[in-house]
Parts: sequence; structure tokens; C-alpha cells
Amino acid sequence: MQSTIIEAIDAVAMQEPNRPAIDVLGQVNTYGELKAASDAIAADLAVRPIAAKTPILVYCDQSFAAIAAFLGCVKAGHAYIPVDTHSPKDRLTMIEDIAKPALVIATVPLPLTLHTPTVTPEQLQATMQDGAAAPAPSLQGGDNFYIIFTSGTTGQPKGVQISLDNLASFVAWMADFNLPTQAKMLAQAPFSFDLSVMSLYPALTAGGCLKVLPKETTADLRQLVTALPDLDVDVWVSTPSFIEMCLLDPTFDAAHHPNLRQLFFCGEELTHKTAARLLDRFPAAELFNTYGPTEATVAVTAVRITQDILARYPRLPIGYAKPDTTLRLIAETAQQEGDRVIGELAIAGPSVSKGYLNRPNKTAAVFTTDRGVQAYRTGDLGYIEDDGLIFYCGRTDFQIKLNGYRIELEEVNHYLNLAPMIRQGVAVPRYNREHKVAALLAYVVPADPTVDPATLTTAIHEHLQGVMMAYMIPSRFEFKDSLPLTQNGKVAIKALIQEVNA
Amino acid sequence: MDNIKQTVFDLLKDLTGTDFSANPDENLFATGTLDSMDTVQLLLGLQDELGITVPVSEFDRSEWETPNKIAAKAASLQ
Repeated sequence: MQSTIIEAIDAVAMQEPNRPAIDVLGQVNTYGELKAASDAIAADLAVRPIAAKTPILVYCDQSFAAIAAFLGCVKAGHAYIPVDTHSPKDRLTMIEDIAKPALVIATVPLPLTLHTPTVTPEQLQATMQDGAAAPAPSLQGGDNFYIIFTSGTTGQPKGVQISLDNLASFVAWMADFNLPTQAKMLAQAPFSFDLSVMSLYPALTAGGCLKVLPKETTADLRQLVTALPDLDVDVWVSTPSFIEMCLLDPTFDAAHHPNLRQLFFCGEELTHKTAARLLDRFPAAELFNTYGPTEATVAVTAVRITQDILARYPRLPIGYAKPDTTLRLIAETAQQEGDRVIGELAIAGPSVSKGYLNRPNKTAAVFTTDRGVQAYRTGDLGYIEDDGLIFYCGRTDFQIKLNGYRIELEEVNHYLNLAPMIRQGVAVPRYNREHKVAALLAYVVPADPTVDPATLTTAIHEHLQGVMMAYMIPSRFEFKDSLPLTQNGKVAIKALIQEVNA
Repeated sequence: MDNIKQTVFDLLKDLTGTDFSANPDENLFATGTLDSMDTVQLLLGLQDELGITVPVSEFDRSEWETPNKIAAKAASLQ
């Protein structure tokens, strides 16, 4: 399996070194440059006194250097942990504490000093140019290839370990979608979000080109619609939320983007409304809804959304399981609801992670084996039709998806309750008609009830921005004298969710 | 105009969970009610419901910051 990922990318470099591999808003780097830079990074890592197979934290933007660093780590036998530059400082130190990386590689300056020895952006650039040859490959199929941290309860992120075998299973499946030859694939998601993997390796292993839209562009609607007309991609990969922004541009359609052939969505629910809008704009394109947790390597189900599917299902299916993988309902959770049996979905197959890095208890709680195959309890509720088509119906717990980001309400609550201006606080999702979380609200009992709401909102916002990811911060605060409690004395979150969504 | 206002209130209610018909001059951005993703949803909703196209490249947030301003802007684009 060693050959599957790295050797496939290097093979392109050897046959066609001048082929474009990465295009960041017109700044192009070739496969030859990618091989030279990643070989040199691997050579540098190989002579450092770091233990074999220990992970390396890569603090990165959406750049050529970031991808070269990922491949360099793997070529030296180390998994990489991508941490996006938009992460708060606390998250960086927490990931360092949990992962105990051997080294940090920074493609942009770190916002703080970590304990771990660090390769600075300047040192990295120098290494990338030094022309050193890569060490002999040492990463085995079961070894970690990357580790992506998801949010965790009480502020402790969990590092999902994805092995070379896990990734190879995913990449082989993506090749089955009949992607255009040497596809030009949109790379929009930051590398700490595993949706980015859906473009990264399917493109590079097939001689394709990653068309990067960096966060600086996508965060500003005006910049985005300015960049869109020049974006020449034939395969689109994004969250549904992201393409909704693009739909605001009336020229984002088949007439202006005639090469756009396939669109893949993952990371959050694709609503009927958005899919209908897309088929209207791109009637001849193939539109795929896909589903999967980070713990099972990006995505494990897919279905092409056609006019026929739109006509048949008001809430869209998430697809059929990939051929090497089984999805089933966990028996003890299955319940008859009307003419359907709904239960918690479990995934078993070769792309299921071995578990969370250095968190045996968390791993044991959700990972198991099913007839000898690695399996994961998703916490997602669903039902499966007789022909194997799978539908998602919500969460078993208080985890939500907002704008493609996985958020555990308990984690938001944890930070709310640590804020000095809050006596007690609880995050409450507001759902729209399409069953999507439209907004995250917070019900708060202020520490000082005499402060006016606007001042308090501003103060809480400023405080939370320093300690938590921007996407987790509630958009609106409702101030109360007290919060409703359950019989056990806990905040009655379910009652609040019902109140907000009444 | 009343139709447009009602459409704006309905869209905002669906997005934020709050009925703004009693507070049509609340600044939705200053209070953190609308973030950029909500704004996208609001504009897409106006596109669908009223058949207007918002020139995003000229989008000026100050012209869209209250329910009343949104309704006025939408009417001017019809």
C-alpha cells in the first residue's frame, strides 16, 4: 500500500515535472517542485533526533509549503497534524499537550511559543530549496498518515488517527467516481478540516491540480465573487454552506463555468433547496451528496442527486455505502417510527480510524470491531432503505453542525461558564425549515444583572474570541434571571431547544 | 412594500428564531444577530422569494443593517 499515495504523486512528478500541482489564486507550483520540496523536508526530518513514527504538528495556511510539509512528514515516516492558522492559541497548546508532537513545522509564524522544537517558516523555505534526496520510505499501511483534531467535550479536542490504509481506501473510492482526467479540483476547506482531504489526495495522486481558494478570499463575499469568474475548476468540493455563498453571484452557472462537471458536498447536510438551486444553475453537472465522520476518513457514502431524487425525497439521502464498507443500525438503538426503523448508524470498514490519539477511554467508547472489521459508532441517527440507500435524521447527542463545523454544545457551554461575566450559560441551536442548524444562540444568566444587554454582549463576544474557535461562538445572547432545570438539577437543554424552535 | 416587509420578517424569523416585526429598526449586525453565513441565507431567500438579484460585489452592509433597511433595499432592486 506504500505505493498508493506518495508514490502515485511522485510518479506524476517524474513523468511530468512541469505539470501544475497547486494553484493558489494564480500562483502555481508544479509536481516537480512539490517532489523536490517534500523530499528535502523529509531528508531534514530524517537527520533530526526525533523518535520514529511520532507525529509532527504542521501549523499551516492553505499554501504550497503546507502541502510540501505534509508530504515531507509522511516521506520521513511521520504522521502530520494539520492545525490551521485561524485556530485560537488555546487550541494549539491543547493539541500540543495531547499529541506530544516530536516537532512543529510552521508555514506561517506561530502566534505563541510552544515547548516543542519548531521549524520556522524561514527555515522551512530554506530546507525546501536545498535539493536533498528523500530517505527510504518507512511508513507502513497501518501507520498514521495524518491526525486531524475535532472538537471534544469540555474543551478537550480529539485527534482522529488516519492510517495510510484508511486514506488509501478513501482515495481508491474517489477514483471510482470517474473524475475528469487530471482533474482541476477546488480546494477551499482549511487543512485542519478533513473535507480538504477530499480534494488533496484524489487530485494529486491522479496528476490533477488543486485550485486553492484561501480563507482570506472566501471570508469576504466581495472578494469571493471577484475571484469566482476566474476559478477554472472541473470538480467542485465544498460544504453546502460555501456553495450557497457562491450562488449569490448570478454568473455562477453552467454558461459561465462550462467546464464544471462534478460537484461533491460533504461536511454538513445538503438541503433539498440548495440541491434544487444547483441543478437549476448546472443542469448537466453531476451533483453528489456524500456523508462521513472524520473518524471514517472524510466520507463513506455517496449518491448522485438528480431531478428524480429531488422529486422523490423531501429530505435528501446521504447515499449508498462505499463498496468496502458497511453501514448498519446499532440494534439496541433501533426504533420503529412510522414505517421506518431509525437507529444510530455504525460504520465498519477499512477507512475507519484506529481511534483517538492518546485517548484510550474516548476511543473505547465509540470504536469497536464488527466481525473482525474496525467499526465506529457515529452518534448520527439514520435509516436505511431496502436497496441500501441511507438517510440521516439528526444526532443522538448534543453535537451539531453549523456552517460545516462540528460543534459539541457541551464544549460551548464549558467556555460560556468560564467567562467571568457569565454566571450560567447554555448554547441552544436554532433549526430552520430545512432541518439545518441556522444559528447558535446562548441563554445566559449574567454575573452582574445591572449591565445593559448590548454592553454585555460585546464584552462576552470579546472574551470568547480569545478562548474559542470563532465558529463556535453563539451569534446571539438572550439574558435571563435563571435557566430552567431538569429534575436532576441540570439545565433543561431539551426544553430550551424546544422553546427556541417552537 | 408590506409584502416585502413581511417576506423579510419571515426570512429573519426562519434564520434567527426572532420575530423582528416589533423591532424593525434593530441593527442586526451590531447585535451579532446576523453573521456572514446568515447574510448569505437572507440574500438567497430574497432571490428566491422576490426574484431580485443582489449585486454582491457592491454589497454595503450599512444599507442592510436593519429589517426596515433590508425591505427598502429589496424594494429598490425589484
